Amino acid sequence: MSSLIAIFQKLGPEILTRTYEHIYLVFMAMVIAVIIALSLGIYLTRCRWPKLVSVIMGIAGAIQTVPSLALIAFIVVVFAVIRLPTIGTIPALVALVLYALLPILRNTYTGIRQVDDSIIEVAVGMGMKSHQILFSVELPLSLPVIMAGIRISTVWTIGVATLCGLIGAGGLGDLIIKGLRSIRPDYLLAGTLPAAALALVFDWLLGLVEKWLTPEGLRAGPDNKV
Amino acid sequence: MITLHQVCKTYPNGVNAVCHLSMEIPEGETLVLLGTSGSGKTTTMKMVNRLIEPTSGKIFINEKDVGQQDPIQLRRKIGYAIQHVGLFPHMTVAENIAVVPRLLRWPVSQIDKRVNVLLAMVGLEPDGFRGRYPAQLSGGQRQRIGVARALAANPPIVLMDEPFGALDPITREQLQNEFIELVSKIEKTIIFVTHDVFEAVKMGDRIALLDSGCLQQLATPVELVENPANEFVDQFLGQHRFQLSLLTRIIKTIMPGTNQKTSGPGTSVPSLRLRAKSSLIEALDMFKKAGKVTLPVYEGKHFVGNLEKTHLLKAITQVMEETGGTT
Repeated sequence: MSSLIAIFQKLGPEILTRTYEHIYLVFMAMVIAVIIALSLGIYLTRCRWPKLVSVIMGIAGAIQTVPSLALIAFIVVVFAVIRLPTIGTIPALVALVLYALLPILRNTYTGIRQVDDSIIEVAVGMGMKSHQILFSVELPLSLPVIMAGIRISTVWTIGVATLCGLIGAGGLGDLIIKGLRSIRPDYLLAGTLPAAALALVFDWLLGLVEKWLTPEGLRAGPDNKV
Repeated sequence: MITLHQVCKTYPNGVNAVCHLSMEIPEGETLVLLGTSGSGKTTTMKMVNRLIEPTSGKIFINEKDVGQQDPIQLRRKIGYAIQHVGLFPHMTVAENIAVVPRLLRWPVSQIDKRVNVLLAMVGLEPDGFRGRYPAQLSGGQRQRIGVARALAANPPIVLMDEPFGALDPITREQLQNEFIELVSKIEKTIIFVTHDVFEAVKMGDRIALLDSGCLQQLATPVELVENPANEFVDQFLGQHRFQLSLLTRIIKTIMPGTNQKTSGPGTSVPSLRLRAKSSLIEALDMFKKAGKVTLPVYEGKHFVGNLEKTHLLKAITQVMEETGGTT
Protein backbone atom coordinates (compact mmCIF):
# COMPACT_ATOMS: atom_id res chain seq x y z
CA MET A 1 0.00 0.00 0.00
CA SER A 2 2.71 2.43 0.99
CA SER A 3 4.60 1.61 -2.22
CA LEU A 4 1.43 2.38 -4.23
CA ILE A 5 1.21 5.77 -2.59
CA ALA A 6 4.88 6.27 -3.38
CA ILE A 7 4.28 5.45 -7.04
CA PHE A 8 1.45 7.92 -7.29
CA GLN A 9 3.47 10.56 -5.49
CA LYS A 10 6.36 10.13 -7.86
CA LEU A 11 4.37 9.79 -11.08
CA GLY A 12 1.46 12.03 -10.05
CA PRO A 13 1.84 14.77 -12.66
CA GLU A 14 2.35 12.29 -15.47
CA ILE A 15 -0.65 10.20 -14.41
CA LEU A 16 -2.80 13.32 -14.45
CA THR A 17 -1.67 14.31 -17.96
CA ARG A 18 -2.13 10.79 -19.29
CA THR A 19 -5.57 10.49 -17.67
CA TYR A 20 -6.57 13.77 -19.23
CA GLU A 21 -5.36 12.57 -22.64
CA HIS A 22 -7.20 9.31 -22.14
CA ILE A 23 -10.48 11.01 -21.27
CA TYR A 24 -10.05 13.40 -24.19
CA LEU A 25 -9.50 10.51 -26.60
CA VAL A 26 -12.47 8.52 -25.28
CA PHE A 27 -14.69 11.57 -25.19
CA MET A 28 -13.92 12.60 -28.78
CA ALA A 29 -14.38 9.03 -29.99
CA MET A 30 -17.70 8.69 -28.19
CA VAL A 31 -19.08 12.01 -29.47
CA ILE A 32 -18.28 11.00 -33.04
CA ALA A 33 -19.51 7.42 -32.55
CA VAL A 34 -22.80 8.55 -30.96
CA ILE A 35 -23.47 11.01 -33.80
CA ILE A 36 -22.78 8.39 -36.46
CA ALA A 37 -24.48 5.44 -34.75
CA LEU A 38 -27.54 7.39 -33.65
CA SER A 39 -28.26 8.87 -37.06
CA LEU A 40 -27.49 5.61 -38.82
CA GLY A 41 -29.68 3.69 -36.36
CA ILE A 42 -32.58 6.10 -36.84
CA TYR A 43 -32.13 5.93 -40.60
CA LEU A 44 -32.25 2.13 -40.48
CA THR A 45 -35.58 2.14 -38.61
CA ARG A 46 -37.01 4.15 -41.50
CA CYS A 47 -35.25 2.21 -44.19
CA ARG A 48 -37.40 0.31 -46.64
CA TRP A 49 -34.87 -2.39 -47.48
CA PRO A 50 -34.55 -4.95 -44.70
CA LYS A 51 -31.43 -6.22 -46.50
CA LEU A 52 -29.57 -2.96 -45.95
CA VAL A 53 -30.35 -3.19 -42.24
CA SER A 54 -28.82 -6.65 -41.96
CA VAL A 55 -25.83 -5.67 -44.10
CA ILE A 56 -24.99 -2.63 -41.97
CA MET A 57 -25.58 -4.49 -38.72
CA GLY A 58 -23.39 -7.26 -40.08
CA ILE A 59 -20.55 -4.87 -40.89
CA ALA A 60 -20.75 -3.24 -37.46
CA GLY A 61 -20.77 -6.68 -35.87
CA ALA A 62 -17.80 -7.83 -37.95
CA ILE A 63 -15.71 -4.81 -36.87
CA GLN A 64 -16.51 -5.74 -33.33
CA THR A 65 -15.12 -9.25 -33.76
CA VAL A 66 -11.73 -8.02 -35.00
CA PRO A 67 -9.30 -8.02 -32.04
CA SER A 68 -8.76 -4.43 -31.00
CA LEU A 69 -4.99 -4.67 -31.41
CA ALA A 70 -5.45 -5.96 -34.95
CA LEU A 71 -7.93 -3.20 -35.76
CA ILE A 72 -5.46 -0.53 -34.69
CA ALA A 73 -2.64 -2.17 -36.65
CA PHE A 74 -4.89 -2.47 -39.65
CA ILE A 75 -5.81 1.20 -39.58
CA VAL A 76 -2.18 2.22 -39.30
CA VAL A 77 -1.34 0.11 -42.36
CA VAL A 78 -4.28 1.44 -44.36
CA PHE A 79 -3.40 5.01 -43.38
CA ALA A 80 0.20 4.41 -44.43
CA VAL A 81 -0.94 3.17 -47.84
CA ILE A 82 -3.20 6.17 -48.44
CA ARG A 83 -0.58 8.53 -46.98
CA LEU A 84 -2.45 9.75 -43.92
CA PRO A 85 -0.73 10.25 -40.56
CA THR A 86 0.00 6.85 -39.01
CA ILE A 87 0.76 8.02 -35.51
CA GLY A 88 -1.06 10.27 -33.10
CA THR A 89 -4.67 11.04 -32.33
CA ILE A 90 -6.27 10.66 -35.77
CA PRO A 91 -5.71 6.95 -36.48
CA ALA A 92 -6.44 6.23 -32.81
CA LEU A 93 -9.77 8.06 -33.01
CA VAL A 94 -10.75 6.22 -36.17
CA ALA A 95 -10.12 2.87 -34.52
CA LEU A 96 -11.98 3.81 -31.35
CA VAL A 97 -14.97 5.17 -33.25
CA LEU A 98 -15.23 2.03 -35.37
CA TYR A 99 -15.05 -0.06 -32.26
CA ALA A 100 -17.65 1.97 -30.37
CA LEU A 101 -20.30 1.95 -33.11
CA LEU A 102 -21.98 -1.43 -32.72
CA PRO A 103 -23.58 -1.26 -29.24
CA ILE A 104 -25.01 2.20 -29.90
CA LEU A 105 -26.18 1.33 -33.39
CA ARG A 106 -27.82 -1.91 -32.31
CA ASN A 107 -29.51 -0.38 -29.27
CA THR A 108 -30.79 2.61 -31.23
CA TYR A 109 -32.28 0.37 -33.88
CA THR A 110 -33.86 -2.16 -31.53
CA GLY A 111 -34.83 0.55 -29.02
CA ILE A 112 -36.89 2.39 -31.61
CA ARG A 113 -38.23 -0.83 -33.11
CA GLN A 114 -39.51 -2.12 -29.79
CA VAL A 115 -41.83 0.85 -29.31
CA ASP A 116 -45.35 -0.58 -29.33
CA ASP A 117 -46.91 -0.56 -32.81
CA SER A 118 -50.26 0.60 -31.50
CA ILE A 119 -48.61 3.67 -29.98
CA ILE A 120 -47.05 4.57 -33.32
CA GLU A 121 -50.32 3.93 -35.08
CA VAL A 122 -52.19 6.23 -32.76
CA ALA A 123 -49.52 8.90 -33.24
CA VAL A 124 -49.95 8.66 -37.02
CA GLY A 125 -53.72 8.57 -36.66
CA MET A 126 -53.71 11.77 -34.65
CA GLY A 127 -51.82 13.57 -37.39
CA MET A 128 -48.22 13.59 -36.15
CA LYS A 129 -45.57 13.99 -38.80
CA SER A 130 -42.72 11.52 -39.06
CA HIS A 131 -40.21 13.77 -37.30
CA GLN A 132 -42.72 14.61 -34.57
CA ILE A 133 -43.24 10.91 -33.94
CA LEU A 134 -39.47 10.42 -33.81
CA PHE A 135 -38.73 13.22 -31.39
CA SER A 136 -41.77 13.18 -29.15
CA VAL A 137 -42.63 9.47 -29.13
CA GLU A 138 -39.97 7.08 -30.42
CA LEU A 139 -36.82 8.67 -29.01
CA PRO A 140 -38.16 9.40 -25.52
CA LEU A 141 -39.47 5.84 -25.28
CA SER A 142 -36.24 4.26 -26.48
CA LEU A 143 -33.83 6.58 -24.64
CA PRO A 144 -33.13 4.14 -21.79
CA VAL A 145 -32.14 1.45 -24.30
CA ILE A 146 -30.01 3.82 -26.37
CA MET A 147 -28.31 5.13 -23.23
CA ALA A 148 -27.52 1.57 -22.16
CA GLY A 149 -25.77 1.10 -25.51
CA ILE A 150 -23.74 4.28 -25.07
CA ARG A 151 -22.78 3.17 -21.59
CA ILE A 152 -21.51 -0.25 -22.67
CA SER A 153 -19.70 1.34 -25.56
CA THR A 154 -17.99 3.94 -23.36
CA VAL A 155 -16.71 1.35 -20.90
CA TRP A 156 -15.27 -0.73 -23.74
CA THR A 157 -13.69 2.27 -25.37
CA ILE A 158 -11.93 3.25 -22.13
CA GLY A 159 -10.30 -0.19 -22.16
CA VAL A 160 -9.47 -0.25 -25.86
CA ALA A 161 -8.06 3.29 -25.69
CA THR A 162 -5.11 2.01 -23.65
CA LEU A 163 -3.91 0.34 -26.85
CA CYS A 164 -3.69 3.72 -28.53
CA GLY A 165 -0.49 4.32 -26.56
CA LEU A 166 1.08 1.98 -29.10
CA ILE A 167 0.62 4.45 -31.93
CA GLY A 168 1.63 7.51 -30.00
CA ALA A 169 -1.84 8.82 -29.21
CA GLY A 170 -0.95 9.22 -25.55
CA GLY A 171 -3.33 8.28 -22.78
CA LEU A 172 -2.87 5.82 -19.96
CA GLY A 173 -1.66 3.19 -22.43
CA ASP A 174 1.53 5.19 -22.69
CA LEU A 175 2.36 4.43 -19.06
CA ILE A 176 1.53 0.75 -19.48
CA ILE A 177 3.80 0.45 -22.51
CA LYS A 178 6.59 2.22 -20.69
CA GLY A 179 6.21 -0.24 -17.83
CA LEU A 180 6.26 -3.15 -20.26
CA ARG A 181 9.38 -2.01 -22.13
CA SER A 182 11.44 -1.23 -19.08
CA ILE A 183 9.94 -3.94 -16.81
CA ARG A 184 8.73 -1.33 -14.34
CA PRO A 185 5.71 -2.47 -12.30
CA ASP A 186 5.22 1.05 -10.94
CA TYR A 187 4.54 2.38 -14.44
CA LEU A 188 2.29 -0.57 -15.22
CA LEU A 189 0.19 0.12 -12.13
CA ALA A 190 0.20 3.85 -12.77
CA GLY A 191 -1.43 3.17 -16.15
CA THR A 192 -3.70 0.28 -15.24
CA LEU A 193 -5.32 1.48 -12.02
CA PRO A 194 -6.53 4.86 -13.34
CA ALA A 195 -7.87 3.14 -16.50
CA ALA A 196 -9.86 0.67 -14.42
CA ALA A 197 -11.06 3.47 -12.15
CA LEU A 198 -12.12 5.53 -15.17
CA ALA A 199 -14.18 2.64 -16.50
CA LEU A 200 -15.94 2.23 -13.16
CA VAL A 201 -16.56 5.94 -12.71
CA PHE A 202 -17.93 6.41 -16.22
CA ASP A 203 -20.13 3.33 -15.90
CA TRP A 204 -21.58 4.77 -12.72
CA LEU A 205 -21.99 8.29 -14.13
CA LEU A 206 -23.66 7.10 -17.31
CA GLY A 207 -25.88 4.86 -15.22
CA LEU A 208 -27.08 7.99 -13.45
CA VAL A 209 -27.63 9.75 -16.75
CA GLU A 210 -29.57 6.73 -17.99
CA LYS A 211 -31.84 6.84 -14.96
CA TRP A 212 -32.24 10.56 -15.29
CA LEU A 213 -33.15 10.31 -18.98
CA THR A 214 -35.72 7.55 -18.44
CA PRO A 215 -39.08 9.29 -18.83
CA GLU A 216 -40.87 9.55 -15.51
CA GLY A 217 -43.91 7.75 -16.84
CA LEU A 218 -41.83 4.64 -17.58
CA ARG A 219 -40.42 4.61 -14.08
CA ALA A 220 -43.81 5.02 -12.46
CA GLY A 221 -45.44 1.72 -11.67
CA PRO A 222 -49.03 1.14 -10.59
CA ASP A 223 -47.88 0.88 -6.99
CA ASN A 224 -46.57 4.41 -6.63
CA LYS A 225 -49.74 6.32 -7.23
CA VAL A 226 -49.49 10.05 -6.68
CA MET B 1 -71.41 13.80 -43.70
CA ILE B 2 -69.10 10.96 -44.66
CA THR B 3 -69.70 9.26 -47.98
CA LEU B 4 -68.07 6.04 -49.11
CA HIS B 5 -68.37 5.44 -52.83
CA GLN B 6 -67.56 2.01 -54.23
CA VAL B 7 -64.57 1.65 -51.92
CA CYS B 8 -62.36 -1.40 -52.44
CA LYS B 9 -59.19 -2.41 -50.66
CA THR B 10 -57.04 -5.25 -51.87
CA TYR B 11 -53.88 -5.92 -49.89
CA PRO B 12 -50.64 -6.74 -51.72
CA ASN B 13 -51.02 -10.37 -50.69
CA GLY B 14 -54.24 -10.53 -52.70
CA VAL B 15 -56.69 -10.41 -49.81
CA ASN B 16 -59.81 -8.42 -50.60
CA ALA B 17 -60.34 -6.66 -47.30
CA VAL B 18 -63.16 -4.44 -48.52
CA CYS B 19 -65.26 -4.87 -51.69
CA HIS B 20 -67.35 -2.17 -53.33
CA LEU B 21 -68.48 -0.58 -50.12
CA SER B 22 -70.83 2.36 -50.44
CA MET B 23 -72.59 4.12 -47.62
CA GLU B 24 -73.47 7.51 -46.26
CA ILE B 25 -73.03 8.52 -42.66
CA PRO B 26 -75.03 11.66 -41.90
CA GLU B 27 -73.73 14.26 -39.51
CA GLY B 28 -74.22 13.43 -35.84
CA GLU B 29 -74.80 9.73 -36.43
CA THR B 30 -73.03 6.93 -34.60
CA LEU B 31 -72.40 4.25 -37.17
CA VAL B 32 -71.19 0.92 -35.91
CA LEU B 33 -69.07 -1.24 -38.19
CA LEU B 34 -69.83 -4.74 -37.00
CA GLY B 35 -68.21 -7.98 -38.07
CA THR B 36 -65.88 -10.79 -37.14
CA SER B 37 -62.12 -10.36 -37.40
CA GLY B 38 -61.14 -10.20 -41.05
CA SER B 39 -64.47 -8.71 -42.05
CA GLY B 40 -62.85 -5.45 -43.14
CA LYS B 41 -64.39 -3.26 -40.46
CA THR B 42 -61.10 -1.82 -39.19
CA THR B 43 -59.75 -1.42 -42.72
CA THR B 44 -62.89 0.53 -43.63
CA MET B 45 -62.45 2.81 -40.64
CA LYS B 46 -58.77 3.42 -41.30
CA MET B 47 -59.46 4.45 -44.88
CA VAL B 48 -61.47 7.40 -43.58
CA ASN B 49 -58.39 9.05 -42.03
CA ARG B 50 -56.08 7.62 -44.68
CA LEU B 51 -54.15 5.30 -42.41
CA ILE B 52 -54.95 2.92 -45.25
CA GLU B 53 -55.43 4.05 -48.83
CA PRO B 54 -58.29 2.46 -50.79
CA THR B 55 -57.33 0.49 -53.90
CA SER B 56 -60.26 2.02 -55.73
CA GLY B 57 -63.31 4.08 -54.91
CA LYS B 58 -63.52 7.34 -53.05
CA ILE B 59 -64.34 8.62 -49.62
CA PHE B 60 -65.77 12.08 -49.12
CA ILE B 61 -66.12 14.13 -45.98
CA ASN B 62 -68.64 16.90 -46.53
CA GLU B 63 -68.33 16.30 -50.28
CA LYS B 64 -64.56 16.78 -50.22
CA ASP B 65 -62.51 13.84 -51.44
CA VAL B 66 -60.21 12.78 -48.59
CA GLY B 67 -57.77 11.41 -51.16
CA GLN B 68 -57.11 14.98 -52.29
CA GLN B 69 -56.40 16.28 -48.78
CA ASP B 70 -53.15 16.42 -46.87
CA PRO B 71 -53.34 13.33 -44.63
CA ILE B 72 -51.67 15.14 -41.71
CA GLN B 73 -54.19 17.98 -41.71
CA LEU B 74 -57.03 15.53 -42.32
CA ARG B 75 -56.10 13.36 -39.33
CA ARG B 76 -55.85 16.32 -36.99
CA LYS B 77 -59.48 17.07 -37.72
CA ILE B 78 -60.61 13.51 -36.96
CA GLY B 79 -60.59 12.08 -33.45
CA TYR B 80 -59.01 8.65 -33.12
CA ALA B 81 -59.18 6.10 -30.32
CA ILE B 82 -58.13 2.47 -30.42
CA GLN B 83 -58.51 -0.67 -28.37
CA HIS B 84 -55.09 -0.80 -26.78
CA VAL B 85 -55.68 2.82 -25.84
CA GLY B 86 -52.31 3.84 -27.23
CA LEU B 87 -51.69 6.39 -24.50
CA PHE B 88 -48.11 7.62 -24.61
CA PRO B 89 -46.56 6.10 -21.48
CA HIS B 90 -43.96 8.86 -21.11
CA MET B 91 -46.54 11.64 -21.09
CA THR B 92 -48.85 12.65 -18.27
CA VAL B 93 -52.60 12.43 -18.66
CA ALA B 94 -52.74 16.16 -19.43
CA GLU B 95 -49.97 15.89 -22.05
CA ASN B 96 -51.65 12.90 -23.65
CA ILE B 97 -54.94 14.72 -24.00
CA ALA B 98 -53.15 17.82 -25.29
CA VAL B 99 -51.39 16.08 -28.19
CA VAL B 100 -53.64 17.20 -31.03
CA PRO B 101 -54.36 20.71 -29.66
CA ARG B 102 -50.58 21.16 -29.41
CA LEU B 103 -50.07 19.94 -32.96
CA LEU B 104 -52.68 22.53 -33.93
CA ARG B 105 -50.73 25.13 -31.93
CA TRP B 106 -53.50 26.18 -29.60
CA PRO B 107 -52.43 28.72 -26.98
CA VAL B 108 -51.26 27.07 -23.75
CA SER B 109 -53.99 28.56 -21.56
CA GLN B 110 -56.67 27.30 -23.93
CA ILE B 111 -55.16 23.80 -23.97
CA ASP B 112 -55.08 23.84 -20.19
CA LYS B 113 -58.75 24.73 -19.93
CA ARG B 114 -59.70 22.19 -22.56
CA VAL B 115 -57.89 19.39 -20.71
CA ASN B 116 -59.84 20.18 -17.55
CA VAL B 117 -63.15 20.31 -19.39
CA LEU B 118 -62.45 16.95 -21.04
CA LEU B 119 -61.34 15.25 -17.85
CA ALA B 120 -64.52 16.40 -16.14
CA MET B 121 -66.50 15.25 -19.17
CA VAL B 122 -65.19 11.69 -18.91
CA GLY B 123 -65.79 11.66 -15.16
CA LEU B 124 -62.25 12.09 -13.87
CA GLU B 125 -61.39 14.79 -11.39
CA PRO B 126 -58.98 17.14 -13.26
CA ASP B 127 -56.68 18.12 -10.38
CA GLY B 128 -56.20 14.54 -9.28
CA PHE B 129 -55.50 13.13 -12.73
CA ARG B 130 -53.71 15.75 -14.85
CA GLY B 131 -50.24 14.90 -13.59
CA ARG B 132 -50.54 11.12 -13.49
CA TYR B 133 -48.91 8.75 -15.92
CA PRO B 134 -50.79 6.01 -17.78
CA ALA B 135 -49.04 3.34 -15.70
CA GLN B 136 -50.69 4.82 -12.63
CA LEU B 137 -54.22 4.41 -14.00
CA SER B 138 -56.66 1.52 -14.08
CA GLY B 139 -57.78 0.09 -17.43
CA GLY B 140 -61.08 1.93 -17.29
CA GLN B 141 -59.40 5.22 -16.46
CA ARG B 142 -56.95 4.81 -19.33
CA GLN B 143 -59.80 4.15 -21.70
CA ARG B 144 -61.55 7.28 -20.48
CA ILE B 145 -58.38 9.28 -21.19
CA GLY B 146 -58.27 7.65 -24.63
CA VAL B 147 -61.78 8.91 -25.33
CA ALA B 148 -60.94 12.35 -23.94
CA ARG B 149 -57.87 12.52 -26.15
CA ALA B 150 -59.89 11.62 -29.24
CA LEU B 151 -62.26 14.49 -28.44
CA ALA B 152 -59.50 16.94 -27.47
CA ALA B 153 -59.48 19.27 -30.46
CA ASN B 154 -63.26 19.03 -30.74
CA PRO B 155 -63.21 17.17 -34.05
CA PRO B 156 -66.54 16.82 -35.88
CA ILE B 157 -65.71 13.17 -36.65
CA VAL B 158 -64.41 10.52 -34.27
CA LEU B 159 -63.13 7.08 -35.24
CA MET B 160 -63.12 4.42 -32.53
CA ASP B 161 -61.65 0.98 -32.99
CA GLU B 162 -63.07 -1.30 -30.29
CA PRO B 163 -62.34 1.34 -27.68
CA PHE B 164 -63.83 -0.72 -24.87
CA GLY B 165 -62.57 -4.08 -26.11
CA ALA B 166 -59.86 -4.68 -23.55
CA LEU B 167 -61.97 -3.99 -20.47
CA ASP B 168 -63.68 -6.33 -18.04
CA PRO B 169 -67.44 -6.68 -18.66
CA ILE B 170 -68.52 -4.50 -15.74
CA THR B 171 -66.18 -1.61 -16.54
CA ARG B 172 -67.04 -1.95 -20.20
CA GLU B 173 -70.76 -1.66 -19.55
CA GLN B 174 -70.18 1.35 -17.34
CA LEU B 175 -68.05 3.08 -19.98
CA GLN B 176 -70.54 2.24 -22.72
CA ASN B 177 -73.33 3.86 -20.74
CA GLU B 178 -71.23 6.92 -19.97
CA PHE B 179 -70.21 7.15 -23.60
CA ILE B 180 -73.81 7.01 -24.82
CA GLU B 181 -74.61 9.78 -22.35
CA LEU B 182 -71.61 11.78 -23.57
CA VAL B 183 -72.45 11.33 -27.23
CA SER B 184 -76.00 12.52 -26.68
CA LYS B 185 -74.54 15.81 -25.42
CA ILE B 186 -71.90 16.41 -28.09
CA GLU B 187 -72.81 16.50 -31.75
CA LYS B 188 -70.30 14.15 -33.35
CA THR B 189 -70.27 11.83 -36.28
CA ILE B 190 -68.82 8.63 -34.91
CA ILE B 191 -67.57 5.53 -36.67
CA PHE B 192 -67.38 2.79 -34.07
CA VAL B 193 -65.78 -0.56 -34.83
CA THR B 194 -66.72 -3.61 -32.80
CA HIS B 195 -67.16 -7.37 -33.08
CA ASP B 196 -69.60 -7.44 -30.19
CA VAL B 197 -73.18 -7.45 -31.45
CA PHE B 198 -74.54 -6.31 -28.08
CA GLU B 199 -72.19 -3.35 -28.04
CA ALA B 200 -73.22 -2.56 -31.61
CA VAL B 201 -76.93 -2.62 -30.76
CA LYS B 202 -76.32 -0.50 -27.71
CA MET B 203 -74.07 2.16 -29.21
CA GLY B 204 -75.20 2.46 -32.80
CA ASP B 205 -77.76 4.69 -34.45
CA ARG B 206 -77.18 2.40 -37.39
CA ILE B 207 -75.16 -0.76 -37.79
CA ALA B 208 -73.23 -1.84 -40.87
CA LEU B 209 -72.69 -5.57 -40.70
CA LEU B 210 -69.69 -6.63 -42.78
CA ASP B 211 -68.51 -10.04 -43.84
CA SER B 212 -65.27 -10.64 -45.74
CA GLY B 213 -65.30 -7.06 -46.93
CA CYS B 214 -68.89 -7.00 -48.17
CA LEU B 215 -71.73 -5.06 -46.62
CA GLN B 216 -74.42 -7.51 -45.53
CA GLN B 217 -76.87 -5.10 -44.00
CA LEU B 218 -76.95 -1.43 -43.08
CA ALA B 219 -79.81 -0.77 -40.72
CA THR B 220 -80.90 0.55 -37.36
CA PRO B 221 -80.44 -1.91 -34.50
CA VAL B 222 -84.18 -2.66 -34.39
CA GLU B 223 -84.35 -3.35 -38.11
CA LEU B 224 -81.24 -5.50 -38.00
CA VAL B 225 -82.60 -7.64 -35.20
CA GLU B 226 -86.20 -7.80 -36.42
CA ASN B 227 -85.58 -8.05 -40.16
CA PRO B 228 -82.25 -9.67 -41.00
CA ALA B 229 -81.58 -9.00 -44.67
CA ASN B 230 -80.16 -12.40 -45.46
CA GLU B 231 -79.06 -15.75 -44.15
CA PHE B 232 -75.70 -14.42 -43.00
CA VAL B 233 -77.18 -11.67 -40.84
CA ASP B 234 -79.62 -14.16 -39.39
CA GLN B 235 -76.81 -16.54 -38.49
CA PHE B 236 -74.61 -13.78 -37.16
CA LEU B 237 -77.30 -12.78 -34.68
CA GLY B 238 -77.86 -16.49 -34.10
CA GLN B 239 -78.69 -17.51 -30.59
CA HIS B 240 -78.57 -13.90 -29.39
CA ARG B 241 -81.82 -13.01 -31.15
CA PHE B 242 -83.91 -13.16 -27.98
CA GLN B 243 -81.62 -11.02 -25.84
CA LEU B 244 -81.07 -8.61 -28.72
CA SER B 245 -84.81 -8.17 -29.19
CA LEU B 246 -85.17 -7.35 -25.53
CA LEU B 247 -82.45 -4.73 -25.99
CA THR B 248 -83.82 -3.18 -29.15
CA ARG B 249 -87.55 -3.20 -28.40
CA ILE B 250 -88.61 -0.20 -26.40
CA ILE B 251 -91.45 -0.06 -23.94
CA LYS B 252 -93.34 2.44 -26.06
CA THR B 253 -94.13 -0.34 -28.52
CA ILE B 254 -95.77 -2.52 -25.89
CA MET B 255 -97.77 0.15 -24.08
CA PRO B 256 -101.47 -0.73 -24.07
CA GLY B 257 -102.27 2.91 -24.84
CA THR B 258 -105.89 3.03 -23.55
CA ASN B 259 -107.59 4.77 -20.61
CA GLN B 260 -104.31 5.71 -19.07
CA LYS B 261 -105.13 9.35 -18.47
CA THR B 262 -107.11 8.51 -15.34
CA SER B 263 -104.16 7.25 -13.39
CA GLY B 264 -101.88 10.08 -14.38
CA PRO B 265 -100.16 11.65 -11.39
CA GLY B 266 -99.76 15.32 -10.64
CA THR B 267 -97.35 17.73 -12.25
CA SER B 268 -94.16 16.46 -10.67
CA VAL B 269 -92.15 13.74 -12.38
CA PRO B 270 -91.51 10.87 -9.93
CA SER B 271 -88.00 9.51 -9.57
CA LEU B 272 -89.23 5.95 -9.98
CA ARG B 273 -90.31 5.95 -13.58
CA LEU B 274 -89.67 4.32 -16.91
CA ARG B 275 -88.63 6.18 -19.99
CA ALA B 276 -90.67 5.44 -23.07
CA LYS B 277 -87.38 4.80 -24.89
CA SER B 278 -86.17 2.24 -22.32
CA SER B 279 -85.65 -1.26 -23.62
CA LEU B 280 -87.61 -4.20 -22.26
CA ILE B 281 -84.49 -5.33 -20.40
CA GLU B 282 -84.06 -1.95 -18.75
CA ALA B 283 -87.72 -1.98 -17.77
CA LEU B 284 -87.35 -5.41 -16.21
CA ASP B 285 -84.33 -4.20 -14.24
CA MET B 286 -86.30 -1.20 -13.08
CA PHE B 287 -89.17 -3.33 -11.81
CA LYS B 288 -86.71 -5.48 -9.94
CA LYS B 289 -85.03 -2.48 -8.35
CA ALA B 290 -88.26 -0.67 -7.48
CA GLY B 291 -90.06 -3.77 -6.22
CA LYS B 292 -93.39 -2.48 -7.56
CA VAL B 293 -96.03 -4.04 -9.78
CA THR B 294 -96.81 -0.85 -11.71
CA LEU B 295 -94.53 1.92 -12.90
CA PRO B 296 -95.36 5.17 -14.65
CA VAL B 297 -93.90 5.69 -18.11
CA TYR B 298 -92.70 9.10 -19.24
CA GLU B 299 -91.58 10.47 -22.54
CA GLY B 300 -89.35 13.28 -21.44
CA LYS B 301 -91.54 15.09 -18.89
CA HIS B 302 -94.72 13.93 -20.52
CA PHE B 303 -96.67 11.14 -18.82
CA VAL B 304 -97.47 8.34 -21.26
CA GLY B 305 -99.18 5.76 -19.08
CA ASN B 306 -98.69 3.08 -16.46
CA LEU B 307 -96.99 -0.20 -17.22
CA GLU B 308 -97.82 -3.29 -15.22
CA LYS B 309 -95.14 -5.83 -14.55
CA THR B 310 -97.38 -8.67 -15.72
CA HIS B 311 -97.85 -6.88 -19.03
CA LEU B 312 -94.11 -6.52 -19.47
CA LEU B 313 -93.55 -10.19 -18.68
CA LYS B 314 -96.22 -11.13 -21.19
CA ALA B 315 -94.48 -9.02 -23.82
CA ILE B 316 -91.17 -10.68 -23.04
CA THR B 317 -92.72 -14.12 -23.33
CA GLN B 318 -94.11 -13.09 -26.67
CA VAL B 319 -90.65 -12.00 -27.86
CA MET B 320 -89.28 -15.32 -26.73
CA GLU B 321 -91.88 -17.18 -28.77
CA GLU B 322 -91.24 -15.02 -31.81
CA THR B 323 -87.50 -15.46 -31.77
CA GLY B 324 -87.61 -19.05 -30.58
CA GLY B 325 -84.91 -18.12 -28.12
CA THR B 326 -84.09 -19.52 -24.74
CA THR B 327 -82.55 -17.72 -21.81
